[in-house]
Amino acid sequence: MNAILSDYFLPCLWASLASAGFGLIFNIHGRGLTICAFGAGLGWLVYLLALDAWGQDIFAAFLAAIVCGFYSEIMARLRRCPVTGYLLVALLPLVPGAGVYYAMQYCVQGENERFLTTLLHTFGMAAALSVGAMLVTSVLRALLPKFHRAIH
Amino acid sequence: MNDDKLLALGAELGRRLMSSGAEIYRVEESVIRLLRAYGAEPQVFAVPSCLFISLSAPDEPAVMRMCRIPAHGTDIELLEQCNCLCRELCRNPIPVEEAFEQVTHLEDRCRKHNPAVVLFGYWMTTAFFALFFGGTLPDCLSAGLCGLAVGLCALFGTRITGSNIFFRTTVHAALVSAFAFLLLRAGVAQNLEAVTIGSLMVLVPGVALTNAMREIMAGDIFSGLNRTAEVILVATAIALGTALPLILGQYI
Repeated sequence: MNAILSDYFLPCLWASLASAGFGLIFNIHGRGLTICAFGAGLGWLVYLLALDAWGQDIFAAFLAAIVCGFYSEIMARLRRCPVTGYLLVALLPLVPGAGVYYAMQYCVQGENERFLTTLLHTFGMAAALSVGAMLVTSVLRALLPKFHRAIH
Repeated sequence: MNDDKLLALGAELGRRLMSSGAEIYRVEESVIRLLRAYGAEPQVFAVPSCLFISLSAPDEPAVMRMCRIPAHGTDIELLEQCNCLCRELCRNPIPVEEAFEQVTHLEDRCRKHNPAVVLFGYWMTTAFFALFFGGTLPDCLSAGLCGLAVGLCALFGTRITGSNIFFRTTVHAALVSAFAFLLLRAGVAQNLEAVTIGSLMVLVPGVALTNAMREIMAGDIFSGLNRTAEVILVATAIALGTALPLILGQYI
């Protein structure tokens, strides 16, 4: 029970609270803020579960981005708002900020090999995120053109 | 049909959409839909810093309008209001003058967080990301302080840091890194990495990165490359800014 709390629940809680802060910076109000925060927590939970199941973080990020994308598209359609805000904030915890930092540190310390490995890995994560999120948008656009046009 | 007024209507709406941080395809699509609702057949082209709209009718000279988009942040509330108004106008095209009036008063319709709340947002983001990256409670508080420093600098220091995104990000990153280093030396923070990474999350170009990839996937390669260049620049600026205090710190 304790392990579930510290391994899954707390990281997701921190992720959603941090993303809610970002929502404030992006001038998101009211219920939109809760939706964004929940999306961020959900995305991170999927990432953690996928990481446990397969052990590959790029694939886990891809799955998490797909779930985030679906969640944001559904919320955007329910609230008749552009998907942009929800998606940007929900993907935030997955954005490889730590990767950029470590890459920079290795670069400054002159460890070129580790620098390049970290950098490439960071790019891989970023690409997985964007492809995952955009895949959902494209598929929904192709499958539901009428629905999309009606709601704009 | 008065082309001039119609063009102005499209340009004003497009400009607001762009400066709220909307994707290119959303801006182009919204302006085209809006002008079509008024019976015009527009050509629209947008890149991150510019918006072009042209109208032509068979027996009239073509008219065109260009709109320069200054550097901007992200304002989701404005984006939602623009989208809402655009949808309303498409469904029910009221006279152009009235529509123009409504578009120019869009900003008044938007709620805006006051600076204290935005600062709280900076605090919240950095503090909880520090916990997220494995920090302890003291780390969380120190990261919150770094976040407040960045927030103050971002909100009130633009006159000093200027609007150049590279320089501004370098300054912010250096600020974060220096604060984290000092707090560690003062014995408040325990885990330099958690504090620094947590605080850097407010600067990391995650939004630009996601947007860049979205543009490329949507087919706007030009804008996508433009934004990718911005991401690389900002990431370099963060690396540079963070490294400076750490290098200097070794000699203190």
